[in-house]
Amino acid sequence: MKNRLVLKKIFTYFFAFIVFLIMFFPLYGLILTSIQPENIIRSRNLSFFPTEIIFTHFVEVLKPNHISNIYEGIKNSLIVSSLTAFLCLILGFPASYSLSRLNMPAKNLILGALISVYFLPTILFVIPLFVILVSYQLDDTILSLVVPYTAFTLPFVIWILKTFIDKLPIEVEEAAKIDGCSVFQLLSFIIFPLLRPGLIAAFIFAFILAWVEFLTPLIFTNNLKISTVALGLFRSTIDIKIGQQAAAAVITLIPVVLLMIFFQQYITKVVLSGSNK
Amino acid sequence: MIEHSNLIDKSRLKFSKEKILATSLILPSLILVFVTYLYPAIFTFVISFAEYDIVRLNIKKFVQFKNFQYLINNAFFNSAVLRTVYFGLVICLFTTIFSFLIAILLNEKFVGKALLRVMIVLPWAVPSVVSGVLWGQMFHADTGFLNALLYQSGIISEYKIWLADPLIALHIIAVAEIWKAIPFMTLFFLSGLQSLPSEAFEAASVDGANVFQRFFYILFPLMLPIAIPLFLIQFVLAMKSFDTIFVLTRGGPGGGTTTLNYFIYKEAFETFNLGRASAAAYVLLIITIAVVLIPSISKKILNFFWGNK
Repeated sequence: MKNRLVLKKIFTYFFAFIVFLIMFFPLYGLILTSIQPENIIRSRNLSFFPTEIIFTHFVEVLKPNHISNIYEGIKNSLIVSSLTAFLCLILGFPASYSLSRLNMPAKNLILGALISVYFLPTILFVIPLFVILVSYQLDDTILSLVVPYTAFTLPFVIWILKTFIDKLPIEVEEAAKIDGCSVFQLLSFIIFPLLRPGLIAAFIFAFILAWVEFLTPLIFTNNLKISTVALGLFRSTIDIKIGQQAAAAVITLIPVVLLMIFFQQYITKVVLSGSNK
Repeated sequence: MIEHSNLIDKSRLKFSKEKILATSLILPSLILVFVTYLYPAIFTFVISFAEYDIVRLNIKKFVQFKNFQYLINNAFFNSAVLRTVYFGLVICLFTTIFSFLIAILLNEKFVGKALLRVMIVLPWAVPSVVSGVLWGQMFHADTGFLNALLYQSGIISEYKIWLADPLIALHIIAVAEIWKAIPFMTLFFLSGLQSLPSEAFEAASVDGANVFQRFFYILFPLMLPIAIPLFLIQFVLAMKSFDTIFVLTRGGPGGGTTTLNYFIYKEAFETFNLGRASAAAYVLLIITIAVVLIPSISKKILNFFWGNK
């Protein structure tokens, strides 16, 4: 019996190591490429550890006239992603409360319809939106990104917030209602503070989804007046300098990865809370 | 008596008041989502039967089913459809298998589990452009790790240009997509595993069932209701993948990595044939809906032939 337990332990650690390697190695490889001189990257000697660490690729990429235009991209992406996430919360919070707690006909139908649009091919909606934006000369603006992003992400945010509200104890709300609390007071003074983990999780989801979006900015900013990080990075792939390309990729990654690491428990909570219903 | 009817009226009034409130809370969201989705969807539907003038931004003329006819008779389109289904199947099959195994691992206790969980969730937040760059570098002909690794270990005698072979390129894109898709499905499997009754496993263990028996006769059937929807969702998401293809191969070489979604993009924004692109978008939509409906339909057929249990 004890032998079997030891065997299981060994097997678990071995498997964990393999998984770690597969999931992390690609990212490690990217970081490695970004801090090594071009001649080492191009040499045929395989090395999994840096022999010479330099930061010139980052310096080059961060120069103002670099092809990837990273400052502009980061600025725009931050604006667009934050706006999207805020809009999603402002619209999604009351909507999810209504879906979770209030008496309304066809609740499940509404939720189902909202969620299912998320899985429809994006390209189906992008063609007409492009035509509309161009005809009102709204392409190449922050607005042309924020509105579609919000619409694409909102169903997801409503679903997340709803699962969190479903879990809140209803007694608190009932007590508040008896004390003469209006719905708006209820939402802002009672539900809002209780829902903080859910709101944080939803904000991060919306922010990341907006940050990684590529197809929409690719099409809606066709004159390249505004650029997002994803677009900037893509433009740098036209260039052949592998090291700089990797450095630009690492810079694009940093904000979302930091968000992910710090708030990982919220993200996991979203998924785990949906299950045990 | 009078008081009683008054009471009913009041509660009815309150009831409808709540309805109004509920609707007004959700209305802004619904309007935004459905205006951004529904109106374009109708628009796409209309111009899929038309020739669209991209310069004047209006419908030139209606051509009935000509766009669809063109697509059906187009060998390139047909192979793109088949490729899309194959591509989607490969991705969701491997993603499901890997995620399931990783979820089982994460359900065990071991040192460093928290760190591993972060590492596993991380690829989800990686922008697909970055993952395109990353896998592009991994399989790069001159500087890629793969060539270096295979060359050093003597498996290949000269560096290979991986992305120049259509079939290999398609599978490299699939690898990138699988790597990005694993985090989410793993978390969902994990939540499924944590909600399983542990008594079943203990009982089986006491009865002398070994690891494989427990896996195939208990874990597998118990997880199937979770696995099937996840599998289908991943299938649908894989069929609409675009970014990785765009960054890595641009649908090439020789159209070998052009999936339906990419085909639509090219028709719409490279050749500016919006009518054809819209028709193709509706074909993709029909395939998507078909995939989603497969399980419930097959269940109905099974029930019809073998009776309702």
